Amino acid sequence: MRIASRAFPLLIAALALGYPWLVPNYYLVYAGALTVMYAAMATSWNLLGGFTGYVSLGHSAFFGLGAYGTGLLVTRLDVPWAVALPVSAALVTALAAGVGVAAVRVRGASFVIVSIALVSMTNLVAQGWRSLTGGSSGLQVPSPFPGLHRGQTHMAFFYLFLALLALALLTWWYVSRSRFGAGLLAIREDEDKAESLGVPTAAYKVTAFALSALFVALAGGLYALWFGSLDPIFVFSILIGSNMVLMSLLGGVRHLYGPLLGALIVAPAGEYFLIALGETQIHLTATGLVLILVVLFMPDGILARFTRRRAGPSIPDRSAGERLHEVTP
Amino acid sequence: MTLLLQGLALGVLTGGLYALLASGLSLYFGVMRVVMVAHPAFLFLAAYLTYTAHTAFGVDPFLALPVTVPLFFALGVAVQRLLVARLAPDNLAMMSVLLTFGLALTIEGLLGTFYTGSYRSVSMDYATRSLTVGGVHLPYDKIIAFSVAALTLAVLFAVLVKSRFGRALRATIQHREAARLVGIPTERVAGYGFGVGLATAAVGGAVLALITPFFPASHWVWIGKLMAVIVVGGLGSVVGAALAAVLLGVVEGVVLVTVDATWATMMFYVFLFLTLLVRPQGFFGGRLAHRF
Repeated sequence: MRIASRAFPLLIAALALGYPWLVPNYYLVYAGALTVMYAAMATSWNLLGGFTGYVSLGHSAFFGLGAYGTGLLVTRLDVPWAVALPVSAALVTALAAGVGVAAVRVRGASFVIVSIALVSMTNLVAQGWRSLTGGSSGLQVPSPFPGLHRGQTHMAFFYLFLALLALALLTWWYVSRSRFGAGLLAIREDEDKAESLGVPTAAYKVTAFALSALFVALAGGLYALWFGSLDPIFVFSILIGSNMVLMSLLGGVRHLYGPLLGALIVAPAGEYFLIALGETQIHLTATGLVLILVVLFMPDGILARFTRRRAGPSIPDRSAGERLHEVTP
Repeated sequence: MTLLLQGLALGVLTGGLYALLASGLSLYFGVMRVVMVAHPAFLFLAAYLTYTAHTAFGVDPFLALPVTVPLFFALGVAVQRLLVARLAPDNLAMMSVLLTFGLALTIEGLLGTFYTGSYRSVSMDYATRSLTVGGVHLPYDKIIAFSVAALTLAVLFAVLVKSRFGRALRATIQHREAARLVGIPTERVAGYGFGVGLATAAVGGAVLALITPFFPASHWVWIGKLMAVIVVGGLGSVVGAALAAVLLGVVEGVVLVTVDATWATMMFYVFLFLTLLVRPQGFFGGRLAHRF
């Protein structure tokens, strides 16, 4: 059992590394890169959603800001892409911390409203500030690998996104074992009790908010370099944010691999819909119905259903009392 | 000066419509503590139904109301009984948002599939002219929208204050357990509360079809605006939402004529964030909205 649970992630990792060489065409490499991108973003979303229970529908704002930040640094200031990417992600994280101070003051429903408002605001700015962003006509970003043809670019970005995913998973795992993570869990179980016992709830929540924005912003920056053209309507679409939520919930927010599993199901399904049904809007209905079904019947996700106890590092099922005991000095 | 007056007048007229559209959201939140993200999607569903009734049968937008209002009432009861009431109570606030978000996506997808993504609008002869009072132009369609909204809100208030059902509904909003103790069937009342909320969406949709062109994805803009209205007004307070709606409508109208459309919409979010920073429970609501 123990060997199996150790070997399983290694096997998956090996499969993931070999994936671009195993598939017959570049389209599947492209679809794979997209899936890994979503997996990285969903895992990052889960740093906030899974630990604190705060559901944000607005993480596409950070995706879009990361993308536009990287794109603008590369095109307007001629910064090399390898510098532009982390700089823009750092800026977005700082911004997220600022927004977080206002956003985490409210709980439950109001927090979700704020997160939706965030996407609408950033979308408005990107469309309205034509002189900087190019508005709705879009922003063109030069490819970072001009020597490679289209298929090879997909392959390069597949590995870049894979590295990002590994980073996000590692961060989640580290947080889940830290005192910080225990504090976040206490916030999820009972915020008032946690605060009364000395957990610095506000600081912890803002940190979790900013941290989960960081990897989403990095994914956005990579996306900008990969696709080469940015459209505010798509980049700041609420759909990207809702995809992160759907993937995490479907897989299981309490598990390290939950969002990854969700992404492996939702992203290919979305691509399939796009091919099978063409550019109609019915894929929105499909996403919506799946979300309704998951919320109604499986709010704890697939992994919670299949792993009675825990397989791999998931959040242990302890009582709130035990957790509080752990975080209080 | 005339420009400012123009913005002010348009703002009040639009604000009246916002008040009607936000009243449904306040009702849902009151009876179930649910933020109904799908409300604007239903609004546009009603607008599209009105459009179909108009183009296929030549029906006046307001003559379709006797059909759409009962239909939406039934839909609202169904949404509450079949979906929202089934959610586990421990994380209702978050899960209900996700649930209604799924509903909104479902409706948007269906509208996009049946009506395609292009703009639609209903134009009536009587709604295209405008009234000029002292240099201020007031389009008739905006005046009609305001009147219909005001009338519907008046009826809604009358029902809430005078009728037996209204009293039961308000009791359920104020204290669910206490209401049940005095014999109010709170489950059923909550269902009817949702029905009334969606019925206002049917009226709002007909008005919306008349005054503005629409496409399936346009409900997202309205979610942001209406959410800002109910947060500024105080979640769950129908009166607070109405006051905030007129306030934000005026601010939007004035900014629209003095600056531009982007900033006019942005004002909603500015007010939303200011409210959350200064007074998270909203300016007119208070007790009920505390800690939501």
